[in-house]
Amino acid sequence: MTHLLEIRNARRTFITPEGGHLAALDGINLDVGANEFVTLLGPSGCGKTTLLRAISGFETLDSGTMTLGGADLTALPPFRRPVNTVFQSYALFGHMTVARNVGYALEVAGVGKASREAQVAEALEKVGLAGMGARRPSQLSGGQRQRVALARSIIAKPRLLLLDEPLSALDRNLRQQMQLELKTLQHALGIAFIFVTHDQEEALTMSDRIVVMRSGHIEQIGTPREIYRHPKNRFVAEFIGETNLFPVTIDRVDGETALARTAEGVEMHLPSAGRKPGEQVTAILRPADFNLGPTGIPGTVTRAVYLGSDLYLFVQPQAGGPEIRVISRDGAGFDEGAAVHLAHDPARVHVLEAA
Amino acid sequence: MRNPIGWAALTAFSLAFFAFIYAPLFVIIGYSFNSNPINMMIWESFTFDWYTGLLGLSDRSTDVSNRAAYVESTDLMLAALRTSLTVAMFTTTISTVIGTATAIALARYRFRGRGFYNGFMMLPMMMPDIVLGIGLLIFFVTIGMNLSILTIIIGHCTFLTSYVFIIVQARMAGLDPALEEASADLGASELTTLRKVLLPQLAPGIIGGALLAFVISMDDLVITYFVSGTGDTTLPVFIFGMIRRGVKPEINAIATLIILASVVIAALGLWLRSRKTD
Repeated sequence: MTHLLEIRNARRTFITPEGGHLAALDGINLDVGANEFVTLLGPSGCGKTTLLRAISGFETLDSGTMTLGGADLTALPPFRRPVNTVFQSYALFGHMTVARNVGYALEVAGVGKASREAQVAEALEKVGLAGMGARRPSQLSGGQRQRVALARSIIAKPRLLLLDEPLSALDRNLRQQMQLELKTLQHALGIAFIFVTHDQEEALTMSDRIVVMRSGHIEQIGTPREIYRHPKNRFVAEFIGETNLFPVTIDRVDGETALARTAEGVEMHLPSAGRKPGEQVTAILRPADFNLGPTGIPGTVTRAVYLGSDLYLFVQPQAGGPEIRVISRDGAGFDEGAAVHLAHDPARVHVLEAA
Repeated sequence: MRNPIGWAALTAFSLAFFAFIYAPLFVIIGYSFNSNPINMMIWESFTFDWYTGLLGLSDRSTDVSNRAAYVESTDLMLAALRTSLTVAMFTTTISTVIGTATAIALARYRFRGRGFYNGFMMLPMMMPDIVLGIGLLIFFVTIGMNLSILTIIIGHCTFLTSYVFIIVQARMAGLDPALEEASADLGASELTTLRKVLLPQLAPGIIGGALLAFVISMDDLVITYFVSGTGDTTLPVFIFGMIRRGVKPEINAIATLIILASVVIAALGLWLRSRKTD
């Protein structure tokens, strides 16, 4: 299968003000399909924005190749690349009306006025801003500006749309609504989206695949489910969602499950496949994977945070060690100081080879 | 609740402040309508004579005894005004183009000596006029250039470019670099981006800089005094010459007309600015 975008061994090094070298892109390999929603996720400084800017042409690569639909991109200036960007600051032209902003790509390409106006109306319709064309960007709300930026970037029908943290300036409700709308729009347009964010929740909600990046290289590429359930390493596990990490030693293997203990003596059950007694591994369990029951790890609730439908508990294991974070659906009655037992299904435990 | 005594004091202070600034101007405007040709400080009666006389429409003048000399000086004054306007128009155009281009280049491109370049652009503004004037004069003499309207224009451009530069640079600093990137991203070449995005965005700064350059060029006395030849005199240099021969009522009329012109230009500038919303 051929991909829309293929990036091979992309490298980019910056010189820091102190004279040091910082590898913003340290040998990146990435393929993006023609109708795929890919999210670049990572903490600030991980290189995700540099990668996005290298695709749009605002950043050059020191080495490596980049092709779009088989054609080499690396030598093309930004205005010749068939990709468009939604900028974090929206970058709307304040001296133009909304309609002229949206039609800018067509105006620059020399498209006639009648055809342009029709396409502008259509694009505004798509983002839910029909009839707003005569306004100035300064007369719009933050969410509406976001939509104008979106309409402006899709009007030239790019095969690939780049989005640079476009939702970060919106409030939570609007952000969640826009996440779903973006996903719908991407399906309707049938083009590829590359979305940059540092918000893991946003990445999990929208993406077909997530690319987790750290200090210039890719830690893991996978579907939201793979990334969440089977993180490749501690970094991915801790970056995506709330996580409990238990460095454990395998005590004994018992058919399907293995019994393991932390240094403090907290007992864990995990899948036995490939495990040998004495082996040191890290067991990963999400907060929602614990059940409050009559059996399991004994402990005391140190803090209980009410989350609406859920109760978020911090439990100190009796045996000692770090607190365990638990999300409980039916946490009624488990106030601070309550004694609880934390049970878990061994199959839900994800095991990292390294301790 | 606001303190009534403090409020009254503040109001009084504000009024005094504005009176201090504008009183001299109103005195001149008042005197320009006083028909007393000998002592302008003693009110005689209301007259437009000094205005009509200036424009050569009436024969009343302070030089009653020598009407020929007076007519000649009116022609000289109009010639000086013409020179001033010509100089101001050329200087404004040249310094606006160079100042704007420099501001864009320094803000958008990284090159060796950029910091120095920035400093050098500011320097002519800080330099005392008299030093700049003498320096220019010695320079023109050294390279064997005759003093003319050309040397006045060159002299004005040397420091007015800095003024335009600083005003456009301030506007440039407040501009989101993503605007130009967005334009390029949507398919616009650098030239198209300059024309359709950058210049319109900078327009208030460019217009403000140009107006300032025009006003300063019209107003400049010290530098022009050094670099103007015998033939071409600007209005400020001409007025300065007139005053040395005594303050005549015509000067009040000239001053009033200049105040009027300045107010019109300033109002125009404000109006243009208010139209640019972003």
